[in-house]
Amino acid sequence: MLPPQIGFELIYSFVIIACSLLVYHATREMYDLSKYNGIKFFRYSFLFFAVAYFFRYFIQFVLLSLGLNSILDFSPNFIGWVSLFVFLYLSSMAVFYLLYSLMWKKWGDSKLKNLLFHFLAVVIALIGLSFRGAEMYLLLNMIILGFVLFVLFIAYKDSKKKKKDSGLFIIYLLLFIFWILNVIDILLPSFLQLFQLIIYLISISLFIVILYKVLRKSGN
Amino acid sequence: MAKRAKLEIMRDILKIIRENKGMIKPTPLLRKAGLSSGRFKEYYKDLLEKKLVSESVNDTSDKQILITEKGSKFLERYRTIIEFIDEFDL
Repeated sequence: MLPPQIGFELIYSFVIIACSLLVYHATREMYDLSKYNGIKFFRYSFLFFAVAYFFRYFIQFVLLSLGLNSILDFSPNFIGWVSLFVFLYLSSMAVFYLLYSLMWKKWGDSKLKNLLFHFLAVVIALIGLSFRGAEMYLLLNMIILGFVLFVLFIAYKDSKKKKKDSGLFIIYLLLFIFWILNVIDILLPSFLQLFQLIIYLISISLFIVILYKVLRKSGN
Repeated sequence: MAKRAKLEIMRDILKIIRENKGMIKPTPLLRKAGLSSGRFKEYYKDLLEKKLVSESVNDTSDKQILITEKGSKFLERYRTIIEFIDEFDL
């Protein structure tokens, strides 16, 4: 019999995948009409979040149903490797695209920049696969978080100059922090077990807040 | 004319066409848009590519620029698009 936590994981993943896909869908018309780069990168980010959470659920399903500590212990071996690689790659791309949606006017839009993000995401995924120690995973995520904080700080400073509300940056900051906790939860399943419910509830709340803001502003 | 944001210029060009009963010749459009010839060409090409305007030739072989259904929809949704961009700092 499957452990009941699988049902709990299913609901959690379903809510976040649904929120992400609704954000993607609700912004489609605005993007079709304007072809505005900021909207494009924002949409890509939530599409990547949706697919990443799908893979996250798949990995959790395997871990819980087989009682494994790491997806890399799954046999046949390549399924574990591929699913972890895809999950790490997609989740990094989701974070990069959300940051790019804030910074594209400063960084410019070019194929090279897009390729650089894909390259970095592949490198992060390969590091995640190559090193199986908790210290390495934590260090990797701290580096990503440092990069995110740096970019968010620049975007926040620019927004302050325009005297805009800073609520969005708090939401994004929490989204990135809780996303990293979700990644750590997959890489080191026992590490955050005590806080899992809180992490899930806050993560769901953040996606619902973003969806609400999108639906309100997009006129859907 | 001060430099305007891209979406705002697109909106202005489309509004000129709409206010001219949905079609206008290129020369008066260029004049009313208040852009240099080079910039106008750049935006016009962009509007054609995005299918927000189309071209047609009338009985006297004059080229006319028409606002498309998508172009009218863009004007309707312009305010929403700008507010969305502002809200998410895009």
